[in-house]
Amino acid sequence: MFRRSERGCAAPRQVTVWLDGQPCQVPDTLSVAAAVLHLHGWQGYRRHHDGSTRAPLCMMGVCQECLISIDGRPNRQGCLEPVYEGMRIERQQGERHAD
Amino acid sequence: MPTNARPTEIAIVGAGPAGMAAAIRLAEAGLRPVVFDLNAIPGGQIYRQLASPQVDARIMGQEYLRGRELLAAFDRAAIDYRPDSRVWWTQREDDGYSLGVLQHGRTQHWQARRLILASGAMERGWPFPGWQLPGVMNAGAAQILLKQGALLPETPPVLAGSGPLLYLLAWQYLRAGRPPQLVLDMASPSSRYIEPLRRPRGAWLGRGYLAKGARMIAALRRAGVPVRRRVDGLQAEGGEAVERVRYRHRGRWHVQSTGLLLGHFGITPEPQLARSLQLAHAWHHSQQCFLPSRGPTLQADESLWIAGDGGGIGGALNAEREGRLAALAVLDTMAENATATPSEEAQALRRARRRDLAARPLLEAMFRLPDDWLSTQPDTTLVCRCESVSRGELESAIAQGGAGPNQLKAFTRCGMGPCQGRQCGESVNRLLAGRLGQSHDAVGYYHIRPPVHSVTLGELATAQQQ
Repeated sequence: MFRRSERGCAAPRQVTVWLDGQPCQVPDTLSVAAAVLHLHGWQGYRRHHDGSTRAPLCMMGVCQECLISIDGRPNRQGCLEPVYEGMRIERQQGERHAD
Repeated sequence: MPTNARPTEIAIVGAGPAGMAAAIRLAEAGLRPVVFDLNAIPGGQIYRQLASPQVDARIMGQEYLRGRELLAAFDRAAIDYRPDSRVWWTQREDDGYSLGVLQHGRTQHWQARRLILASGAMERGWPFPGWQLPGVMNAGAAQILLKQGALLPETPPVLAGSGPLLYLLAWQYLRAGRPPQLVLDMASPSSRYIEPLRRPRGAWLGRGYLAKGARMIAALRRAGVPVRRRVDGLQAEGGEAVERVRYRHRGRWHVQSTGLLLGHFGITPEPQLARSLQLAHAWHHSQQCFLPSRGPTLQADESLWIAGDGGGIGGALNAEREGRLAALAVLDTMAENATATPSEEAQALRRARRRDLAARPLLEAMFRLPDDWLSTQPDTTLVCRCESVSRGELESAIAQGGAGPNQLKAFTRCGMGPCQGRQCGESVNRLLAGRLGQSHDAVGYYHIRPPVHSVTLGELATAQQQ
């Protein structure tokens, strides 16, 4: 789990995102992947098509380990999509979806 | 060429120090470059979130703040900045380059007469047992979380690998009041201690780096963070996520319980666009990776320049200089009566660049990774994370006659997943070079074809609706 430092700068604006159906407040500077790591950590982030558990590795658009469903669209690169108010995020726990 | 393409004189891919500096210099000359940025705000990786910093400067260090002037100048200049833009396709045409750009779920076609690639670097994919487990992340990824939201790991992590970033992150965590529990330095020891003696000039030019590194390590030690040097084995273990790290130090294996292992094994150019354009590349012995071949003006092909770490690892200041140099080269090609001799501005930039780059071989030697690493890892170690292909499967495919990266890809699916070989391409090259007794250049690399970013058919179809 990643927690916000108490030594950070001024408190950022918060937005509400819906993660697996639950409303959550997160700083609006975060990407989707960062928001999930902040709220829940890396455990349960994603299940790979071979059945193994996976979580973000690079956070910069390279590794594709952060794939996640955003507003009903599966396999989005969570590290490249900034959060916004009302966003619906679902962690992918099953087979790789066809789009 | 689609008829609805948007024309531009000059397109730049990337808005890190190189892309920003190139755009600013071109804007100064009265052009209005188009800048495509994968990120939502400019800065690249090094200056990420610097426009509205989330973390105290005392934590991040001065090098982070150095980018503020560049960001301010980029903001002021007349630049057609396009955030959230994935350049997923590019192709050389008679009079420039066609680009396919995905922005906010819509595809656009662009036609650029000149192109500057400034797409930067990525952390090197470096397979070790268990690196696919949740709880193993790149150190750079953890630093992105720090920049993006002042996010720190709740439990003290183990940091392992080699490169300046490893110590920088450890030091930043220390400054933030959350020191790591252990630092495992995995640089190849033989080159580390011999190199400064062999390169006294490099050591002198790089003395700033050396002193800074020494200060960081001393600060960690003072804070009671164990720093283990010459670690030559690493494994992450656990069920659904990392539970412990096993490492070999002075010939003996040790176990450390941890939920988070942050690895860093140096950085390499992000290769995808340059590879998809089939530009010439050559293996760089000292940087231990392929670099695209560039001329003295950073030109890599007709009407194409590569600036910054995407052309070779030189750091943020060098990237800024290269951005400006590429911009000057572009302006030269547009001048009515181009002069053969470079301008004073270009000469000064080149001198500064040469001086700065002269310190790099020392750094590269000090953080050199063991070349035989992969071949000494257990058979079950995943090389391709996307398609879950192990080193053992690749070895059997080589034994059955797989003679090159593209054959191995066809035999095993290695490199065929969504990251398109970014994480495994050079590992496969290393394995083949070792087994076949060939040079890295002779073995070569995957044939990279567009799209170089994942694009859905729905997104592709939007191109027809404009």
